[in-house]
Amino acid sequence: MNGQWRGLDRLSRDPAFVARASAEFPQLAAALAAPRNRRGVLKLMAAGLALAGLGGCDDGAPGGVLIPPVLPPTDTVSAGSHLFATASVGGGYANGILVRHVNGRPIKVEGNPAHPASLGGTSAIGQAEVLGFYDPDRSRGLTRDGEPQAWSSLLTALAAQRQAMGQSHGEGFRILTGSTTSPTLARQIIALKQLYPGVRWHRWEPVSRDAVRAGAILAYGQPVELVPKLDAVDLLLTIDSDLFDGAPGHLRFARDFAARRNPTRTDRMNRAYAIEPTPTLMGVAADHRFIAGPRDLARIIPALAAWLLGGEPSADMPAWFAPLVGDMKATRGRCFVHAGPDQPAGVHALVHAMNEALGGRGQTYDLIAPVEADPVNHGASLRSLIDDMTAGRVTTLVIIDSNPVFTAPGFGDALTRVAVSMTLADGSSETAAKTQWSLPARHGFEDWSDALAYDGTVTLLQPQARPLYDGISPHSLLALFAAPEEVYSRDVVRQTHGLNDQQWHDALAAGLVAGTQAAPTDVALKPIQAPVGGAMAAPAQQDITLLVRPDPHIWDGRYANNAWLQELPRPLTKLTWDNPLLVSPAIAERLKLLNGDRVTVANGATEVTLAAWIMPGQAPECVVALLGFGRTDVGMVGQGVGYDVYPLTAGSGPVLLHKAGGRDVLASTERHDPIFADAGEYVHHGTLAAFKADPAFLGKPASQPQEYNRRPTGPAAWGMSIDLNACIGCNACVVACMAENNIPVVGKQQVIHEREMHWLRIDRYYEGSPEAPDMFFQPVMCQHCERAPCEIVCPVGATVHDEEGLNVMVYNRCVGTRFCSNNCPYKVRRFNYYAFAAEERRPAVARNPEVTVRARGVMEKCTFCLQRIAAARIDADSDNRPVGANEVQTACQAACPTQAFTFGNMAEGGQVVERKKSPLTYALLGDQDTRPRVTYEGRIRNASSGAGA
Amino acid sequence: MTPFDPVALPGSNNPDMTDHVSGIALRANAFGWWRIATVLPAALTSGLIGSILYLFFAGVGIWGIDWPVAWGFAIINYVWWIAIASGGTFISALFFLTRSEWRNSINRIAESMTLFGAACAGIYPILHLGRPWFFYWLFPYPNTMDLWPQFRSPLLWDFFAILTYVTSSVMFWYLGLLPDLATLRDRAPTRGKQVVYGVMALGFRGTSSQWRHYRVLYGVLAAIMAPLVCSVHSIVGLDFAGAATVGWHSTMYPPFFIFGAFLSGFATVLLLIIPMRRLLRLERYITGRHLDVMGRLLLTSSLFVGYAYIMDAFNTYYGGEKAEITMFQEKLFGYYAGIYWATVLFNVLLPQLLWFAAIRLNELVVALVSIGVIVGMWCERFTIVVVSLHRPRLPSAYGLYHATIWDWLTMLGTVGFFVFGILLVVRLIPVISMFEMREILAPRRP
Repeated sequence: MNGQWRGLDRLSRDPAFVARASAEFPQLAAALAAPRNRRGVLKLMAAGLALAGLGGCDDGAPGGVLIPPVLPPTDTVSAGSHLFATASVGGGYANGILVRHVNGRPIKVEGNPAHPASLGGTSAIGQAEVLGFYDPDRSRGLTRDGEPQAWSSLLTALAAQRQAMGQSHGEGFRILTGSTTSPTLARQIIALKQLYPGVRWHRWEPVSRDAVRAGAILAYGQPVELVPKLDAVDLLLTIDSDLFDGAPGHLRFARDFAARRNPTRTDRMNRAYAIEPTPTLMGVAADHRFIAGPRDLARIIPALAAWLLGGEPSADMPAWFAPLVGDMKATRGRCFVHAGPDQPAGVHALVHAMNEALGGRGQTYDLIAPVEADPVNHGASLRSLIDDMTAGRVTTLVIIDSNPVFTAPGFGDALTRVAVSMTLADGSSETAAKTQWSLPARHGFEDWSDALAYDGTVTLLQPQARPLYDGISPHSLLALFAAPEEVYSRDVVRQTHGLNDQQWHDALAAGLVAGTQAAPTDVALKPIQAPVGGAMAAPAQQDITLLVRPDPHIWDGRYANNAWLQELPRPLTKLTWDNPLLVSPAIAERLKLLNGDRVTVANGATEVTLAAWIMPGQAPECVVALLGFGRTDVGMVGQGVGYDVYPLTAGSGPVLLHKAGGRDVLASTERHDPIFADAGEYVHHGTLAAFKADPAFLGKPASQPQEYNRRPTGPAAWGMSIDLNACIGCNACVVACMAENNIPVVGKQQVIHEREMHWLRIDRYYEGSPEAPDMFFQPVMCQHCERAPCEIVCPVGATVHDEEGLNVMVYNRCVGTRFCSNNCPYKVRRFNYYAFAAEERRPAVARNPEVTVRARGVMEKCTFCLQRIAAARIDADSDNRPVGANEVQTACQAACPTQAFTFGNMAEGGQVVERKKSPLTYALLGDQDTRPRVTYEGRIRNASSGAGA
Repeated sequence: MTPFDPVALPGSNNPDMTDHVSGIALRANAFGWWRIATVLPAALTSGLIGSILYLFFAGVGIWGIDWPVAWGFAIINYVWWIAIASGGTFISALFFLTRSEWRNSINRIAESMTLFGAACAGIYPILHLGRPWFFYWLFPYPNTMDLWPQFRSPLLWDFFAILTYVTSSVMFWYLGLLPDLATLRDRAPTRGKQVVYGVMALGFRGTSSQWRHYRVLYGVLAAIMAPLVCSVHSIVGLDFAGAATVGWHSTMYPPFFIFGAFLSGFATVLLLIIPMRRLLRLERYITGRHLDVMGRLLLTSSLFVGYAYIMDAFNTYYGGEKAEITMFQEKLFGYYAGIYWATVLFNVLLPQLLWFAAIRLNELVVALVSIGVIVGMWCERFTIVVVSLHRPRLPSAYGLYHATIWDWLTMLGTVGFFVFGILLVVRLIPVISMFEMREILAPRRP
């Protein structure tokens, strides 16, 4: 298992290697010689090194040069960092990422600009994956019935298994996986089925997309994958949509959508309508957000479809209905409708029909063959497995990357009837604890694999480090069921794609196999049939409607042991470390609930008691339960955090809600009375019509020249512009900042105590009534004021201005008076009340070695990623040239899927200077005259003239 | 008692006074009440030491301070104590310069109060630091790093102000003690006491040249101390006013803090002399005159403070800045409103009782009013520090503050330390400045 991956870092310092690399990859040598764009070079180097290093692999013996994760070989050169492509896989779908290595250790996830699913953006979950890789709670060895075992005993057991399967032709052998797009995994399972015809493959993804799949079958008679092309969409109508926070390709959608949101840079600003029962990121970003619970939707969507398809006006519709239809008809061909996975199949079918009728196919979206391998209905697949298990028809069950004991009520009981069960997972889980065998899986950063992007692009996953802990790849495990020979996952993956050396190297360098995106299919829409209308039967009339949604960061519970994600304030509630029931303001009023009050929610026979949280803008009859919390067997971080609401998914029947005794203290990072009449003071906002009348209506005039102007005079002038039109509040920047800057996690108690350490926070404002507020996001970090109030109050000069306009914090000099924090109008400074960094369970090797780890009693704050600036400065100095305008990317900027951040050296012009010239530009709390180097572009709504609020 | 009592009751004379006062300090055994009274302060002082040790071990995270409210009890108590201390200096130095005779009976206790008040205040800025072991970085000492402190910071001015004030208070107190220490030396019944008081008296023998030098030095120090009280309190005010923070950024703060210092200082002196004159049988030397004068001063400073509160409100609404008004509304009606109204009640309304001469002479009521003022002044500091900080300019940074057990232990510990110090003074040194009393009493027994 050792020969997988080479020590590229060391090789890159070897002259013979460099010569070989240059000969093999002339573009690398050319790029190194040419005037440098640092990022470009890093990309090329990553590519080149990956290729050349692997080239070297062929003539080296297994066990050649490997970089151990902790102690590098003595001749390793520690300077510089390298990027290697791989992918972050969510719900089976791949987002391309690059992993930054320093001293041979993966320390930071960056986006892969070449990857179609992200175009260089990343998600919060993707950013946090590096912490999961170093998680000390990961499984460290295999166990059988809870007892540690040697690998040889597994091999023995598998030999017996092979023999038994040979005799029974695989009858009773079942494989359960999550949703997967991996061609290799699918190929292996198909091969296994050919070998043993009785083998069956079940699928279970707790955050189900079954309705999407079923809707496509209703509409087209076969499963198809929808590929929206939001850059071509003028009018977007979303129905309870997850386009920005969960749908496959959501990073790409956010990018394409945001690219047409700032009227100073596009004259074709798109317009978005969102109809949804509970606020989503899409709803916040939309120009018009209409609140409709499931019952209303069941009425409105068919009426909408009927009007668009047949042109019959329907009575009894909300006031916004007619203008919306008018707007849609007016943008025929450039209009796109999207429904979220929580909508029933009938809605999806109607949406397909509407999209066809609106003539957008090929323009605003494509249909391709399904990306998921062997798409099945997960709910049905799991039910049949449970039935078979209960009936004793399952003799062997192999569970790969799935946690059904936690996520599927009833599975645990059925599992006791299975003779041989096996879980392959990279951490402890409820399922691993209940199966006979628990096998440690390799982390995604330790293994070779592949996955498809939302558009079908083949994406390769390559290991980023030698495995930290003993583990096995699913590809190797599946091969062992077929034959006793140990196979390397790299070889299996490579075989799947049949690439020659050159193509393989190129694919690894780019992280994807070029040109593999799926071609659009020409499948035709079936005529709308009566059952579609039947499928739209209105949900039962009841007072309370329960919606079950994944937590935006913990997802279905699989990231519960990731402290960065646990402590990441949820986009709208700003809650950390908890999943209270989100209740609408109407219900809260009726039951006299305050935030944190315990409530009991019953769904049929099952009931769960948990805290409640009032969610402004939620449909009056709705409560939302968030999945993923309440894990009982996950590791020290996630154990027992929050409430397990999976039992509610099994119940059916009337939903009852009543107040239970007691109140929980919830850790939200927004502690103010949430509703404001004048959020516009902080988030400047207005309508497109007002902007067209006077483009400068939001921006503040530049401040008057001052007598005492201490404008920094250095060779560079760092500045940032944040486009509030682009920010969707997804939190990727916050995690990126934590990863880049070694920001400690403080835990729930300390968040309650108001001591969270995030250097970058996303402020959320509500404006209007609690029932239907407007919502705004605003990322706030150190504003690097030219006239910084923090600097003059520090008695020891621990925070000072540098000549390039940075407000720098000298940790070593800080004595901890905290006066700077008091005097900061933006409150962006964070204080180490305890030795938060030292108390973290995160291993020291996981930290960014370029950034000081702060001690107890020291103030800290955003540095504009000073370490990245310093690296660029060194590059520039050695070339005897100024640092280029766009040469430095801050971590938040690089992570942002929508390019809301622009950063650069304003002395050299560049994009940030261009953006700051926008008439929407304003400084936060401009009346304080702090002259911040961070400015914001006010948010413009492309409000429809007829659509009301 | 009447307001028109003389400074010492008729029939008082030097020999009796000296016998009585030095007798208290030279008693072989402490009073029974003294032994009982020291138990609780000694326990609280031990608690103070324990909580400081734990603070250094665990860090300032043990306190209730948080992200928006980064300053808490440490700064509140610091300002509170330094204000109490200042009142003592004001009595002993300013009224010395105005040659007010009534001051002679109470200046020793007022100065002792200054000494221990300043000691309590002085430890807080160091405890307050995140890394207290580097507190000396605030001092402009030559060093190999070639680093100086940052002279624009009000905290640096504060560091110098406190250092100056504590140093000169100690000197002033000790200098004022010298002739009395010499008296004790001369009267000490045991060899041990003779040596100790003799060493402490620094060879003061009462020669005319010693008295001449002594009086000049004492006058100079008094002339320094009187304005120093004002400057130190202005600078404490500038700790807040020098910041651009909501609720702090006001030119009113320096005089406002001086008013507060007088108010709490006078209240504390009253609270000390009322039981003392009874317990130590000093009614003859601390008379209705003293209570009356101190009551009038307390009332006057209360009116000053009341004026400052009114101007605070006026400036906020006249200025019209939204963040300031939001914070002020919160101060009046928000989560901490009770503390603001307690401030107004205790500092402004309650002392209005002192308009009546009968009440000024009622020791119980005056003691209660004094306690009220001391509590009220603490509430005022709480409002300034916590309430201002918990409503910063950006709503996303709004927060709350709740003190922890360690905050309370440290605060009560300094109270205990202060009382313990005063009790030690009562036990070991003359509580009335004998040599100054001799200037106004009859020289011989009648």
